[in-house]
Amino acid sequence: MGGGLAGTALAYYLARAGVECVLVERAELNREASGTNAGSFHFQIALHQLTALETGNVRERLQTEVRLHAEAAEVWKTLERELSGSLEIHITGGLMVAETPDELRLLHEKRELEEEAGLETHVLEGAELREFAPYLADDLLGATWCPDEGHANPMLAAPLFAARAAEAGAELRTHAEVTRVEVDPDGGARRFTVSTGAGRVHARRVVNATGAWANEVGALVGLRLPMRAEGLHLNVTEPCERVLEPMIQHIGRRLTLKQSTNGTFIIGGGWPANPEPPPGRFSTTWESTAGNVAVALRVLPLLAEVRIVRTWSGVMAFTADLAPIVGESARLPGFHTLIATTGFTLSPLLAQLLAEELATGRAAIPPAYAVDRTPAGQPTT
Amino acid sequence: MTDASYDLIVVGGGPAGLAAAAEAASTGLSVCLVDERPTFGGQIFKQPGPGFRVTEPAAVGREYVRGRALIAAAERAGARLLPRTSAVAIRGTTLVLVEDGEPARTVEAGRLLLASGAHDRPVVFPGWTLPGVLTAGGAQTLVKTQRVLPGKRIVFAGSGPLALAFPAQLRGYGANVELVLEAGPAPGPRDVLRLLAAARGNVPLLRDAVAYRTRLLRDRVPLRYRRIVVRAEGEGRVEEVVHASVDTAWRPLAGTEERVAADTLCVGYGFFPSVELLRLAGCDFVYDEDLGGPIVVRDEWLRTTTPDVSAAGDGTGVAGSYVAIDEGRLAALGAALDLGTLAPEAAAARAAPLRRRLARKEAFRRALRRMHAVGPGIYELATPATVVCRCEEVTAGALDAASEGTDDVNVVKSLTRAGMGLCQGRNCQRQIAATLALRHGGSIASLPVATARPPVRPVPIGAVADASLEDGGFFTVEG
Repeated sequence: MGGGLAGTALAYYLARAGVECVLVERAELNREASGTNAGSFHFQIALHQLTALETGNVRERLQTEVRLHAEAAEVWKTLERELSGSLEIHITGGLMVAETPDELRLLHEKRELEEEAGLETHVLEGAELREFAPYLADDLLGATWCPDEGHANPMLAAPLFAARAAEAGAELRTHAEVTRVEVDPDGGARRFTVSTGAGRVHARRVVNATGAWANEVGALVGLRLPMRAEGLHLNVTEPCERVLEPMIQHIGRRLTLKQSTNGTFIIGGGWPANPEPPPGRFSTTWESTAGNVAVALRVLPLLAEVRIVRTWSGVMAFTADLAPIVGESARLPGFHTLIATTGFTLSPLLAQLLAEELATGRAAIPPAYAVDRTPAGQPTT
Repeated sequence: MTDASYDLIVVGGGPAGLAAAAEAASTGLSVCLVDERPTFGGQIFKQPGPGFRVTEPAAVGREYVRGRALIAAAERAGARLLPRTSAVAIRGTTLVLVEDGEPARTVEAGRLLLASGAHDRPVVFPGWTLPGVLTAGGAQTLVKTQRVLPGKRIVFAGSGPLALAFPAQLRGYGANVELVLEAGPAPGPRDVLRLLAAARGNVPLLRDAVAYRTRLLRDRVPLRYRRIVVRAEGEGRVEEVVHASVDTAWRPLAGTEERVAADTLCVGYGFFPSVELLRLAGCDFVYDEDLGGPIVVRDEWLRTTTPDVSAAGDGTGVAGSYVAIDEGRLAALGAALDLGTLAPEAAAARAAPLRRRLARKEAFRRALRRMHAVGPGIYELATPATVVCRCEEVTAGALDAASEGTDDVNVVKSLTRAGMGLCQGRNCQRQIAATLALRHGGSIASLPVATARPPVRPVPIGAVADASLEDGGFFTVEG
């Protein structure tokens, strides 16, 4: 259930493993977060994974996540070959800047943690940073450099997975909104009956990969996930001469910033968009634009004369403890969930791991991501 | 975080906005009027640009004088007039204003009056992006603000009242107009009867039309009816204009193509209301291609369906300067009534003559309709290689391919990047809608447009950035 990156990738990996599988999507494929995000790979530890400006209190969770990120980096590196098609992947490397001494200390802390977990990063300071990234504001104290980071085209990823899934034998149904899920515990191969706007489907197992709408689908079988949907705001500028190769983030403030292949700067990083009553989508706000581009300008002063031409928004799933929710429900065996919180970066990998579990029965997902995890699994704050 | 507040903010300093500002201020409301251009008057009453000093108003023209009078009246009434100031975002009755070179400001109002005017209906044909092809509005701006003629051999292709007025005005400036192509039919006896029947209260309009026609006849400028431009050709710029006879749907008839040498092609197939702010404000719309496309829904005081937002002038359906002035006044009276500076009886009394005149104009416009109804053929001239979205360089062929599996303009936009550039679709959105309508058999009217998003105009990051704003704090762990 769900035709975004998670759902289409899962359909592909399942079909390739010889599992008979149907994907149902209520509208068109790739129309929500999977197709409207900025397409960045977030591998190094970022602000959104921290609960304070330190790593010590959440060390274990961060290590699990960085190990996963390092694996995801490998998946993305080989994905175009795997899928025999272009995803416009560019491994540009990524910088994460620090403005204050506290933030700089955090960069060193996280580098150590990343090294232990198997992700290569470097902390650059002073003249070294200025030589490496002369476009940055020259009073920034330091930056982490992660050579594996980069981006792909979010308009291509899910559609290519879908095409390859169909070739491998998966059935893809669009305009098939799930309206009802019935469970017959003794049903065997017909354990679940999923009613959609485009007919009914019987299945031994079902996977909820509906992202921000996962709780609406979960509610059909009485499951509630510790997550909520939020709208994220993005800004895009007019095209400019190429000056910026890597993606830039900030360890202490909400910022992702990159120059896309057509020369426009895309500025985001977790500023809010407002929910609108249906059928409206999340609306972008002036406050988010003004606050978001202020952080970008602080880091990249050459943006002062560059004009914002458009804003847009996407809706994203936020879990209560910031970690992905992946696996089978203990309360309702056969019902699985696939929610990757850093969705674009992690969905192909998590789909691959879940497909492995489903096809072989062997555990492949870190236990910290279990659907029925207790509050003890949450980071201590 | 509000920088100022007014009873009424008027966006747009054309005939509607200026008349509204004067009327509202005269009732005692505090009024601020903003316009993105360096001078007021809008398109039709456009004033000479900065650096020009007018010593003989009559010599500059009647439209200059009428515009000057409207500006003076608004100033006299006490309205604050801010030029070079764009309204880039709107929420409720709060506007974000950006003055050229200044940081953005947030301004609050008891009532907003959006009088954003209209822009030329973009028409895509092979060669439309060649240097030397320009819109009627673009050419008008050159002659009115800079006193510059766009070229030495000018062909005008268009329809509607402007197809007479504009070439005649260009002649008045001494331009060499080679040929005028009108897509509509020549007025027949029935049209003349219809117009005469609706003439009460519209004598100035008829007088204008006769004066324009006389000017073209006197200057021996050929005016050919039922013909449209089908392409422009030339190496690096326009050298020849190819035109053809059309049927009533404005579709070219085989074997009727002719060529004319020209260095300039002015295109004026009517106008398209500038509705970006109205869309952002969440107003309801209906659709009328002959009035320009999306038409905002309004009540008897020109209030939109969004609370405390009114709209007047060509931005609500293109009807010209006479209507715009009366609409501006009527909307201002409505604001004064709602904000308590005018008693209901007084507002009704002042509105009555305006409403009478507007009704007569409406009758006149209906009489003209047969001659100027926009034919769908105008949206079918592109070949697969023709660039439709000139900002992102997307061809008609690429758009057609992208619209194969969908009739959703937002999908086509994200697949091709069409409409994502600097003009934000103002040039190409009609053509994209027409492509989808042609392929999927719907009408342009039935297609939803792309989602409205701020900013309405491109704004430098240096002007937008506000370091005092904190983010929403999404990424917190729930306790």
